[in-house]
Amino acid sequence: MGGRGRGRGNAVSFNIEQLGFGRGEAGPVSVTQPPPLFPSLENRPLPLIKDVENEYILVTQKDLSTRMRNSPFYLKKSEKINSTSYEKELPVLWNRMPAELRDETFTKRLATGKSKVTLNAKKKKVEDPDKIFAKLEKKERNESEVEEDGDGKEDEDDQDKSDDEKVENEDDVEEDLDEEMDDHTDYANNYFENGEAYLEDEEGQDDGEAQF
Amino acid sequence: MAVMIQHNLVKFQASERNNNVAEYSMIHHNVYCLIRYPKYLYMIKRIYGTSEEILLEILLNLGQASASNVIFHSANRLNEANDGEVLNPSALHQSFQRLAQDNFIIRCPKLAENATLLKVPTLEIEEKEKFAVPNVEIEPIARMLKEKATQLGEHCDSEIIWRVNHERFDVELRNVILVNAAARRVDTTAGELYHLILNLWRENSNPDSPATTPVSYNVIKDAIRKNDSSPILLEHFDHYLRVLHEDSAGLIDKPGDAGGGQFNLDYSKVFENLACASLDSIVLERFGSKALRLFRLTRIQKFMEQDQMQNVAMIPAKEAKMFTYKLLEHNFLQIKELKKGTSNFAPVKSFILYHVDLPQVVRTTLEASYKGLFNAMVRQMHDLTENKRLLEKHAMLESMLDRLKGDGVPDDEIAELSDTMPPAEKSLVEKIHLMSDNLTLGQTQADETILILESYLKFISKEL
Repeated sequence: MGGRGRGRGNAVSFNIEQLGFGRGEAGPVSVTQPPPLFPSLENRPLPLIKDVENEYILVTQKDLSTRMRNSPFYLKKSEKINSTSYEKELPVLWNRMPAELRDETFTKRLATGKSKVTLNAKKKKVEDPDKIFAKLEKKERNESEVEEDGDGKEDEDDQDKSDDEKVENEDDVEEDLDEEMDDHTDYANNYFENGEAYLEDEEGQDDGEAQF
Repeated sequence: MAVMIQHNLVKFQASERNNNVAEYSMIHHNVYCLIRYPKYLYMIKRIYGTSEEILLEILLNLGQASASNVIFHSANRLNEANDGEVLNPSALHQSFQRLAQDNFIIRCPKLAENATLLKVPTLEIEEKEKFAVPNVEIEPIARMLKEKATQLGEHCDSEIIWRVNHERFDVELRNVILVNAAARRVDTTAGELYHLILNLWRENSNPDSPATTPVSYNVIKDAIRKNDSSPILLEHFDHYLRVLHEDSAGLIDKPGDAGGGQFNLDYSKVFENLACASLDSIVLERFGSKALRLFRLTRIQKFMEQDQMQNVAMIPAKEAKMFTYKLLEHNFLQIKELKKGTSNFAPVKSFILYHVDLPQVVRTTLEASYKGLFNAMVRQMHDLTENKRLLEKHAMLESMLDRLKGDGVPDDEIAELSDTMPPAEKSLVEKIHLMSDNLTLGQTQADETILILESYLKFISKEL
C-alpha cells in the first residue's frame, strides 16, 4: 500500500496520525488464526421477559405440540410402509386433493423405492401399442356407461380407472425390475468378463502358438 | 404431502403443460407462522373468550375443516374440561360466526363442478363468499354429543371448509405492537384510544397499502362514544389525539383538516421508527451506550466523517474509533468513499464517510434473528431427544403417582415409588424442563423482533 503514489511517491497515502496511533505506538496485533467459532460474549444479553402473556404462551405451546404429536396427523416412519390403507385413518379431506396423492400404490412405491417416478414417466412413452388400445377401449366403454347411467356410476368409473392404474403401475413395477434386460438380451452382463475364465483354459494354448 | 396440504403448508395447481399433473409449492409464510400459533390463541382469548379460543385451537389442529366438525370437536373438548356437563352447541355456533365476521377464519376455495373427473381438482372461490357462514344444523350435532360419538359423520355443510386466516392474524399482531408502543409513549388511555382508531382504519382501508385511508375527527368521536371506554378518554380524547399526533414516533399523521381533522397512519414511517428503535436496543445491548450514541448520530445525520463523529458525540478519539470499527465489522455502519482528486502528483486523498444503510442493516439483523431462532429450536430438539428416555421415565412415574393418589393409596407407598427415581435424575429433569421453557420463551420473543423487522422491509418495498 505504501509508496504507490505517482511521481515523487515517497510519502504514503495516509497519515499515521490519522489512524490514531501516534509515532511510537504499535499497531494492532496481527491475527494468526481464524476467529473462534463461539467468541466470548462481552455483554450478557437481557433476561427474558416473563409476564402473564408469555407464561400463557409457554403453556399453550407445550399443549399444542403434545396434541399435534398425538394427533393422527403425526406420521411415524413405520406406518408409512406397512399400512395398506392409511387413507382411511388420516382425517384428511381426500376429495380435495389431486388424484395421485389418493392413489395408494403410488405413495407406497415412493415410500419403498427411490425415484422410480421419473423412470416411469419416460417408460410410459415406450408403452406397447396394445396397452394403449386396451386403455382406449376401456375409456370408451366407461364413457358410454357414464352417459347412460349418470351419477351413480361415477364411483365405479373412478374405481375402474384406479384399478386400471393399479394394473398399469404393477406392470411398470415389473418392468422396472427388469431394467437390466435392455433390448431383451443380457449383453450388458457379459460384456465385462470376470477374471475366472483366465486360468481355466490352459489346454487351448497349443492352438494359439500357430497364429501369426 | 397430503398432511401438509391439509394444514395449508403446501398448495397445488394443475401444471400448464399437462392438466393431469399437479405442481406443488410451499407456502413459506404459513410454515413460519406455525411458531406463532400460541400467540394467535392468546389474542383470541383476550379479544373474545374461551369458547372462541377452543374453536380456533381445534381448527389449528385439524388444518382445514367444516364448521360443524369444528363445533362438534370443541364441544367435546369443553365437555371433557367441565367433566361431563353437556354444552349447547348453538352458543359455539355463534362464537364461530363472530370469528368469521372479524375475518379471523376464512373459507377455503371449494371444488369446481367438474373437479371430480379431473385428476387435479381445481379449487375456486368468490370474493363475497369468503366469510359467509352457512346454516349449520344444530340438532344432529347435539344428538351426536349425547351419544358421545368420536366422529361426526356426513352433515349438511361438509363441503364448506374453513381454515385459519393468517394474514388477518398478522395484521392483528402488528396492531398489538403499535398499541403497546402508544401505551408506552404516552399512557394506557392513549393506548385504548389508539386501539379504537386502529379498528376504524382497518375497517376502512385496504390492508396491503402502505398508508391507511384518512378518518375524520368526528368519526373518531362517534366511535369513542359508542364504545363505553373510560370517562377519562371521553373527556380528554382530543388532547390525547393531539399528543399522539405530535409525538415523533409518527403513530398518527394528519394529512388534512376536513371534518375537524383527517388522521391516518403511515405504516412505513411508523415501522421505520420501530425498526430503528429495535436496532438501537440491539446495538446498546451488544456494544454499549457509547456505540449507541455513535450509531444514532450517524443514522440521523446521514453521512459523517470520523472526526465529526467523535466531536459531536463527545467521546474520546480512541474509543470513538474503536466503536466505529466494531460497528463497521458487524455491518451496522457502512462506508462510502469519495475521492478528492486534486493534482496528479500529490497522493490522492479521499473522504471516508460513514452512514447507516437502513434496509441493509435491517436485513442483516433479520438474518441474525432467524439464526438465533433456529439455534434455539435446534438446541431444544437436541436436549429433548438426548434425554428422551429419562423424560419419558419421569412422565410415566408422574402419571402413576397421580393415579395412585386418586385411588387413595397410603402415602408410604407413594414415597417409595417416587424414590425409584434418584434425586440427581429428578434435578436433571427439572433442569431440562427449565432450559426447554427458556428456549421456547426466547423463540417467542425473537419472533416479535422478526415481525417488526419484516414489516418494515415489507412496507419499504411497497413504497418503491
